Amino acid sequence: MAAPAVLVATFVVGGGMATSLAQSLGLFPLVGPPSLTVAAYAAQASELPAGIGLSLAIAAASTLVACLVGFTAALVIVQGRWCGKLVAALGTLTIPVPHIIGAASMSLLLADSGLLARLFNTGGGWPELVGGPWWIAVVAEYGWKESAFVALVVTGTLATRAVSYDETAALLGAGRLRRLRHVLIPLSMPALAVCATIVFVYSLGSYEVAWLLGRAYPEPLPVMALQLFNSATLTARPEAAAVAMVTTTLSFGAVAAAFAYLRRSTLWR
Amino acid sequence: MALTLPPDVGVPLSWPSQPGNGLRRSRGLGRALRVLLALALALWFILPLVPLALWAFADRWSFPAVLPQAWGWDGVRTALAQGAVPAFGHSLLLGLLVSAFATPLGVLAARALAYHRVPFAPAVSVMLFAPLALPAFVAALGLNVVLLRLHVPAFAGVVLLLMVYALPYTSYTMRVAYGAHDLAIEEEARLLGASPWQLMWRVQLPLLAPALARAAFLAFLVGWSDYVITLLVGGGTIVTVPLLVAAAAAGTGNDATVALLSAAAVLPPLVLLLGLGRFGRRPNGGRP
Amino acid sequence: MNGTVTVEGLSKSFPGTSTPVLDDVNLSVEAGSCTALLGPSGAGKSTLLRAVSGLEVPDAGRVLVGGQDMAGVKPERRGMAMVQQRPLLFPHLNVLDNIAFAGTVRGVPKRTARVDAAEFLDLVQLEGFGRRQVTALSGGQAQRVAIARALAARPSVLLLDEPFSALDPELRSAMHALLAELRRRLNPTILMVTHDRSEAAVVAENIALFSGGRILQHSSVELMYSRPASLEASRLMGGANEIPGTVCNGSHHSALGVLPLPCDTAWPTGPGILLARQESIEVSAADGAGLQATISGLQGMGPRRLVTLDAAGVVLRAEVPWGRGLAVGENVTMHIPTSALAVVDDSDTAHLYADADERPSLTSRGRAALTGVGH
Repeated sequence: MAAPAVLVATFVVGGGMATSLAQSLGLFPLVGPPSLTVAAYAAQASELPAGIGLSLAIAAASTLVACLVGFTAALVIVQGRWCGKLVAALGTLTIPVPHIIGAASMSLLLADSGLLARLFNTGGGWPELVGGPWWIAVVAEYGWKESAFVALVVTGTLATRAVSYDETAALLGAGRLRRLRHVLIPLSMPALAVCATIVFVYSLGSYEVAWLLGRAYPEPLPVMALQLFNSATLTARPEAAAVAMVTTTLSFGAVAAAFAYLRRSTLWR
Repeated sequence: MALTLPPDVGVPLSWPSQPGNGLRRSRGLGRALRVLLALALALWFILPLVPLALWAFADRWSFPAVLPQAWGWDGVRTALAQGAVPAFGHSLLLGLLVSAFATPLGVLAARALAYHRVPFAPAVSVMLFAPLALPAFVAALGLNVVLLRLHVPAFAGVVLLLMVYALPYTSYTMRVAYGAHDLAIEEEARLLGASPWQLMWRVQLPLLAPALARAAFLAFLVGWSDYVITLLVGGGTIVTVPLLVAAAAAGTGNDATVALLSAAAVLPPLVLLLGLGRFGRRPNGGRP
Repeated sequence: MNGTVTVEGLSKSFPGTSTPVLDDVNLSVEAGSCTALLGPSGAGKSTLLRAVSGLEVPDAGRVLVGGQDMAGVKPERRGMAMVQQRPLLFPHLNVLDNIAFAGTVRGVPKRTARVDAAEFLDLVQLEGFGRRQVTALSGGQAQRVAIARALAARPSVLLLDEPFSALDPELRSAMHALLAELRRRLNPTILMVTHDRSEAAVVAENIALFSGGRILQHSSVELMYSRPASLEASRLMGGANEIPGTVCNGSHHSALGVLPLPCDTAWPTGPGILLARQESIEVSAADGAGLQATISGLQGMGPRRLVTLDAAGVVLRAEVPWGRGLAVGENVTMHIPTSALAVVDDSDTAHLYADADERPSLTSRGRAALTGVGH
């Protein structure tokens, strides 16, 4: 019964990777005979390090923001009361917002003519958040949307058991901070690690947010790949595929690292 | 995209509060800090959506005015002129088709993994989660050539890819549901004389309905929200709301249009989410 | 800290419920004693335990430990520990670190805390289990670890919330023995919630009987069985025989005749319901001296049999051992020892029958049906 799902997934994931790899190695040219070559990788060799560094940095920063804010929000939500309800409701509100819409809103919020610039009325001294050198708007968008994701997932794991363990720890003499450190954080860690991996991999391999809110140079890997893919030059397609393969390698590497961490964790069933 | 639903979807906008709890009591400074923290988080979640609401019906809002100077329907007119209606149709169709395919596939896979001996079960699990690890643009970029050579229609190709990207969510949601589902209840129903058909309609389906609704909603969201797969595999022939928003946002001076389209893109799934809260309520047998 | 626990006028309501969970509860237990909080579910026992521990903030009243008011003292500073029905072992820590938890959070060096924890592990007879994952424990083992973890916090008051009710009978007996051993060695004050009368009698020397958010009676186990303070207390303790009548000159007059009451108590004259524990009633062959009765029903009850007797229109129940050829319809002689008798006010029906003589002769079953006091 699992066969249909596995078949389509294998076709898309396996097939997508295989064809990207084949294209990057010159085995699937748009014109001319196929020939095995690493020319596409070589052609982008000078651009790749900056792209890799930038992509990893954006993904790491976004993951950090999402996890910190998300975990804090989860703690507030689990506490209950109206504070928790409010945060839960507003976090839930972000679920149906597509990332491209989130990016468009971030632009309306953070751009130099955006809502915040108007509110603080800095008179032209507004920092370059959108399209600036620090990719603030991009990280803010990922951090915003994914922090709600982290908050709701961690809430889900904490909601069922946090209260009883929290009480048990309190009666064993643990104060608020000790309970956070010795009980709530360890209990949330596996869920947090899974979330962090998903957020990292998503922000590493996502195109539209960085494309809309980023700057022209340097480019993160997905933007680089799609620019090459859409360019008029015929040799650019294998190069796009090469960048895609580099992104894939980083992505799978991150997942493998996360698995290695989770396997050591005793909470992972 | 990373998707999830609030853990207690039955009451999405109200959280179970712990009554009169001694641990959750705080006074003075501590209490003030907690309220401040909660408000800051609330602001963090809501702030990016504020410009959408303001811009959507702003006809004139020149810098540095803090609020729009003239309200009106210009944004609506421009959006309609740019093809908002067909784009909505495309997005809706995409979301519904992805949901219609990914949900049953996820259910079948989850049920197989939960109750049957599946050959290479760990590999199957990995494969179902693999779309989360493979950036969508890689799959789209690679398969584009294959789909073209196989003469797969662009729309079908987009649905196929999005369906796979929805599978992790549908199969995971259903696995959790089957994990919590007590097989003894089905056995009890059989012993009470239910035929397999009745078992499915009268026991399994009502018990799993909330999870099914969640899975279908998440799959819908994958189709509704997608940008890069529609762009690459659709090859520009399928214009959905996200593509329209992206095109408008990439230009300048379209702020009102962008905001209106964005707000309109958020509303249908939001309504669905709220509906899910009503429908997704657990059947309250047992405990009140 | 001295572990005397005093509860004064404690009340607690939860939002959305009309009746209070705790209604002006007063209770005082001595340091080092073990008191069972007994009662049907929903009677407020667990809420009282949570209020004593500080997990629940009462609406009114106060909790004193060693004479010190606990209002405003956080749960983690009260010197208590609780073991619940679910062991709630921290899944991210192994067995030893679970027991060492209280030490760790108090800032004791990890190594010292573990050495200390190992001693408590020995105490609950789980030597060598320290490095195990908590998921690898059986239910009984997990509950032992939970007890060790609670004791390692050196509580002056140990709170037990139905700690053994998820265990099978054999394990439960073993845990009762363990608890007795732990009391002998460490002697904390123990408050234990249970809905099992026999468990309360095995573990505790005192019972506080709960019903509807109030304490009906707080006394030693012996008095709880032999001198129930009210009809409701008697029923909650499983008493099956209620004979209406009047008390006069230290004797009870009823359809059964005149039965002398224990002389250690001054029984007030007036209408009263005679209680006779079914365990104490002796049934013998019809030729003996005593009350004549006819057997109207027989029912197996584990190691004994419940015999329903009809004596002069009064229905009585007696527990007798197996192995005696009793049959329905047989005439027997029954003997009720004076020490097994007690009289309580008929609070249910006293207002209905101002004049005691007009009272209809009712069996306990019939009265329950009449007054709506169901089980």
